[in-house]
Amino acid sequence: MARTRSTASRPADQVARIPLRSEFGITWKLALAAAGALTLLLAGALGHLFVAGVGVWGNSVPFVWGFDLTNYVWWIGIANGTSLFAAILVLRRHSLRTSINRFAEALALFAVICAGLFPIIHLGRPFLFYWLFPYPPTFQVWPQFRSPLTWDFWAISTHVIVTSLLWYVGLIPDLATLRDRAQAGIRKRLYAVFALGWRGSVRHWAYHQRAHRLVAVLVLPLVVVMQSAVAFEFASTLVPDWHNTRQPLHFVVTGLASGLATVHLATVGLTAALRLDRYITPKDIDLTAKLMLVSVLVVGYVYAGEVLVGLLAGDTSAIPSAMRMSGGYAPMFWVAVAATCVVPQILWWRRWRRNVAVALLAGLSVLAGVWLDRLSIVAGGIQREYLPAMWDRTYVPTGNEWALLVGTLGLLMALFLLFARYLPVVSMFEARHEEAEGEMP
Amino acid sequence: MNGRPPDLIAEFDEAERLLGAIRSTRDAGIRGLEIYAPYPMADVANLLGYRTTVLWVAAVAAAIVGAGGTFYLQFWMNGIDYPLNVGGRPLGSWPALVPASLIVGILVPAAATLIGMLMLCGLPRLHHPVFDVPGFERASEDRFFLLIDGREVEKEPARILALLGQHGPLAIREVPS
Repeated sequence: MARTRSTASRPADQVARIPLRSEFGITWKLALAAAGALTLLLAGALGHLFVAGVGVWGNSVPFVWGFDLTNYVWWIGIANGTSLFAAILVLRRHSLRTSINRFAEALALFAVICAGLFPIIHLGRPFLFYWLFPYPPTFQVWPQFRSPLTWDFWAISTHVIVTSLLWYVGLIPDLATLRDRAQAGIRKRLYAVFALGWRGSVRHWAYHQRAHRLVAVLVLPLVVVMQSAVAFEFASTLVPDWHNTRQPLHFVVTGLASGLATVHLATVGLTAALRLDRYITPKDIDLTAKLMLVSVLVVGYVYAGEVLVGLLAGDTSAIPSAMRMSGGYAPMFWVAVAATCVVPQILWWRRWRRNVAVALLAGLSVLAGVWLDRLSIVAGGIQREYLPAMWDRTYVPTGNEWALLVGTLGLLMALFLLFARYLPVVSMFEARHEEAEGEMP
Repeated sequence: MNGRPPDLIAEFDEAERLLGAIRSTRDAGIRGLEIYAPYPMADVANLLGYRTTVLWVAAVAAAIVGAGGTFYLQFWMNGIDYPLNVGGRPLGSWPALVPASLIVGILVPAAATLIGMLMLCGLPRLHHPVFDVPGFERASEDRFFLLIDGREVEKEPARILALLGQHGPLAIREVPS
């Protein structure tokens, strides 16, 4: 029997119709073409790198680390910030979780994919990266577990697995909805396969909700431990500017700010592009802007603490701190401080928070600021070699390194565009739940 | 199929009616209920006494096994099985083994919880008889379904039909087997 669907009364209907549309408009196609071109650029740059070796980069003594680690730490910060935000929404049962959680988790997953590329490709022989895994090899030597390199391996693979599992398990009920609504065909079959036979039994819902919250609890320590493990890789070297216990706090706090900026940009962008104003309200956008503002205040506090503690400590700590603020990379440091901490202060005014252009600008400013901060730590930290003859060198990135940075941005955009096209960007079952609870007295 | 009586399934359009039907069938001492809903219904889960504690227990156990196992594995590989002397540093320098142990101590419970959740639900599953019920596709949208085990229905079919009928179901059907 054919049913007539009264769309007005259906909760979550607007969200479900998005992935089931047969046509998605020229803007999406153009955006995907641009992002796809950048992803191809990434593939080309990677191919060149694999064939020619890391000599195609600008790294040389003293700059043993350069764009590779800068980009890695930047992407990881975004991944951790978005993950943490999504997990806290689930645990607080905040009303924002319905609207924002799904795509915040997706962003975290895509960012960690971009981040995971860099530690692999910065190896001299990237095709042997699996040597970090303790499999029983024929040459009988185990990996050296006291090396921070192995921490990275566990941290990234854990983040990829946990984020993708959390995101996918949250998606299963919505995939079932799409399976039930799609016209018979290849798409329906695909949704059916990935819905794993979900039928909405209340017993299953109970397990599903419990598991989702449990893993959200686990994400909290994960992001802190993971970002700290990355920071310890700097701190456990003997480079004077890095050899410092402030690193974990600095990376966690600035990472959270960049993650919130990314969520904010995606919220503004999705609302405008997909007309989801029924689910993502101006109030939600206002809230993400405020969260970003609070997080940059914390970043400002941490910067102030670093300046104060760095300069008050003994010479071994004070000289590198002073060099970072007045040496060759000082302009980047100060632009980073301004872009991360000062520019977003405009969001104190509601009028500007609600202005799309200003919201986008503030978010981009935080992202650029955090990236410059990473570069000023990585390149600025190792610029001062132990021999004065080496002091005047500057790190010059090559075209291949720029292509990798721009290419990973394209990869993230492409993945996000495909996600927005084929999967529900807002949790439909949470939307139904919310509407049902709203109706009950 | 092998002589098992068909299950009965009732369709409701409102959560209130479903709740009423669940209460009266339970009060009548009927077991073997299965509820299908388009969103999580914590009150129904409580009413039917579904326990999810097993997931917590599994997560805690997996965390201990994951963290402890990773710590011991690293210690054994670099200190016992193939002692690795790096610049004369002590073989059992445990602080260096902590970050990986903590991280894997999160990975294992997270994977155990999510994969264990699917196993407890009996998923993935290619097909289930309820998918053959006409209109069941709306269980993932806005309809509520109450299924009663065929063996219960067989005992007193008339009474069960009457009980369900009181709560204004849209339809009562047999699940095709």
